Amino acid sequence: MEAGTVIGRVTRCSTRGFAGAYPLEGETIPSFGAFCAAPYPGGGYVIGVVYDINIEDDPLARQLASLGDVPVEQILDSQNNRQIPVEFSVLNLGYQDTEGTYQTLPPRPPMTLEPIHLLPEAKLSSFTEDFSYLSTITLNPSLPVDELLIACILEAIEVRPESERKRYLIEAGRMLARILAGDLHRLEQILNKLTPSIPGNSSG
Amino acid sequence: MESSTLDEFFGPGHSEQPLGFVLSGSLSEGLGVKLDPRYSIEHLAVGRYVVIHGHQSGRTFFGIITDIALGASNPDLTHRPPNMEQPFTLEVYLGEVAYATLHVSPMLMLDETDDQPRPIKTIPSHFSPVFEASAADVARVFGDEDDTHFYVGTPLDMETVQVNLDLERLVERSSGVFGKTGTGKSFITRTLLAGIIQSGIASSLIFDMHNDYGWTVKDESGREYKGLRQLFQDGQVSVITLDEDTSRARGSKIDGALKIGYEEIEPEDIEMLSGLLGLSEIQTGALYFLYRRLGKNWIAKLLDEDPEADDLQDMVDSGRIVAGTLGAIRRKFEAFIPRMGFLVPGAGNNAVDDIFNRLRMGTSVALEFGNYGNTLAAYMLVANYLTRRIHSRYVHQKNMAAGNKAEEPRPLVIVIEEAHKFLDPAVTSHTIFGTIARELRKYNVTLLIVDQRPSGIEDEVMSQIGTRVTCLLDNEADIRAVFSGVSGSSALREVLARLDTRQQALILGHAVPMPVVVRTRDYDQSFYATIAGDREKGVKSRKSTESLFGE
Repeated sequence: MEAGTVIGRVTRCSTRGFAGAYPLEGETIPSFGAFCAAPYPGGGYVIGVVYDINIEDDPLARQLASLGDVPVEQILDSQNNRQIPVEFSVLNLGYQDTEGTYQTLPPRPPMTLEPIHLLPEAKLSSFTEDFSYLSTITLNPSLPVDELLIACILEAIEVRPESERKRYLIEAGRMLARILAGDLHRLEQILNKLTPSIPGNSSG
Repeated sequence: MESSTLDEFFGPGHSEQPLGFVLSGSLSEGLGVKLDPRYSIEHLAVGRYVVIHGHQSGRTFFGIITDIALGASNPDLTHRPPNMEQPFTLEVYLGEVAYATLHVSPMLMLDETDDQPRPIKTIPSHFSPVFEASAADVARVFGDEDDTHFYVGTPLDMETVQVNLDLERLVERSSGVFGKTGTGKSFITRTLLAGIIQSGIASSLIFDMHNDYGWTVKDESGREYKGLRQLFQDGQVSVITLDEDTSRARGSKIDGALKIGYEEIEPEDIEMLSGLLGLSEIQTGALYFLYRRLGKNWIAKLLDEDPEADDLQDMVDSGRIVAGTLGAIRRKFEAFIPRMGFLVPGAGNNAVDDIFNRLRMGTSVALEFGNYGNTLAAYMLVANYLTRRIHSRYVHQKNMAAGNKAEEPRPLVIVIEEAHKFLDPAVTSHTIFGTIARELRKYNVTLLIVDQRPSGIEDEVMSQIGTRVTCLLDNEADIRAVFSGVSGSSALREVLARLDTRQQALILGHAVPMPVVVRTRDYDQSFYATIAGDREKGVKSRKSTESLFGE
């Protein structure tokens, strides 16, 4: 797979997901709902979605924050030269090997310190054409499922031409309707939040 | 996208996208099909044909949409509908949370090696795709028009496809044309009769109560249509009238007049009218006594204005008959018989022989009633009188043929209107019409009944009606009656209830491979030209009875 922008390196991992650390000199900050990939032993790539971005508790930052007036240099230094890394967590949605691309758990997780790339636009578009990933997300209730579903769908339409976006939104919505048919309130809430993204719709 | 539009543009062959998939059902109850959300339920209609490709066997099943319903994957939808001002949400809901289902009655199936569809013995499996039938699919079921298959109309929304009725099967059993008043039963009947006459498969004896069949008829708007005599000018149709004055005033070309002599009337001819004439059971029974005692002049003597006629007085004096009974009979006969100009003293004009000979030679006879058609008793008397005698001749000839002493009688279709009067449960067991209906084609005589109250016809008789051509009915009892005796037909109730008021009919039964809703063929100049043109080409062929009814 053509590699996209590196956004971090693997710090810990399993077949269900992995975590990465955002580098100090990183140009692209990973965002909630971003699709990314990391290589696993054997020549394949695990594909997943960022569901959490976390900065652990930093005593120095706590001290500075309690001061009334923090100098700008101190703020920038603390943000850019931080002692505690920014960590992001990724839920595995599928993998790609020499045979093809699959929306199921990978055979092996990536190794520690492997680079984590943003999924290139073309690959993101083709991967999300299969809506199984939406079902995978809903099977992880400990995650912010509804918000993640919305973020992923919005990521997926961003890489599509304008003329394709409405179709994709409707089909994604119908997949959600199949998954969430038992909870119409929740379904409607998600669809309402997607509505402003319909091409030609005024934002809500 | 709509598959019908695609079919029109790209030609025959059904759409590649199925309408939906089979998800439930049974052989007896029919199939439940979930509609693909790409299709709009509003563009479908009950009565349309579908083709189902068996998911496991490769068989093709032909079915008819008999109901359309709305469903929801979550019953809460009716209590918690989505925000109607959010079109995106509505569009997502449609097809998934809120969806449409079709109820399909499968009728025929076709194996890969078959060239003719067969009645179904099983159903398609789960997830078998369902397609809207194409013109080619429907044509495969109904075949081509030929000498014995007559074009009667087109399926709904398929103006290029012909539904061809199997005329041999139509006349093999009694058949019926039903529909409430004003739905075009006479037009459909006339079309069917034209087909029968053109094919030469059978002769027809039409008791034309309202002068709708023999000669020119006008519709409510005053537009004129040709009668059968005008369609077939080479002697295939004769018009016999009971009312010469009215026929002449209408301009009808008549081939004879029917006169029934008093001497020819028997008590069995009158018995059917006892309700209409107000004859009690005792009075009806007395008719037989009077006939035995007075002989063939019984009517004349009963009408004799001389109340002191010896025969009658002797019977009263000897106590053989009560004076009151005799008086009632005479009064009722006097109120009826002299008013019927076709009933004449003496022997009549051998009408039965004349009509029988015409029928035997392959000529169909339309019996015009003129003004007498407004008198139900006159209609019933004449229909009963003629049918009893002609049927008797058929029985005799058929029995002779069984002994190789005569030719098989030519098949005969007797057309009667107001059939529920003849086939009412109270009378049908002892009338010739009930007998004919029950005996199927034993003596080569069948009925074609035209009626707006099929619920008035005895159930057993209705079950013997092989082919039913049904226009719109809105009475529940009538709808039930039309479907009685036809297995699996109750699913077609919704189809029947949704017919247009004119020029649409549901045809089911013996003469069609599967039920079909048709827009009936126009009875107009093009029809006349087709009939005339086919005659010139010699398309009609007069089949010998051996080839038609040979065992």
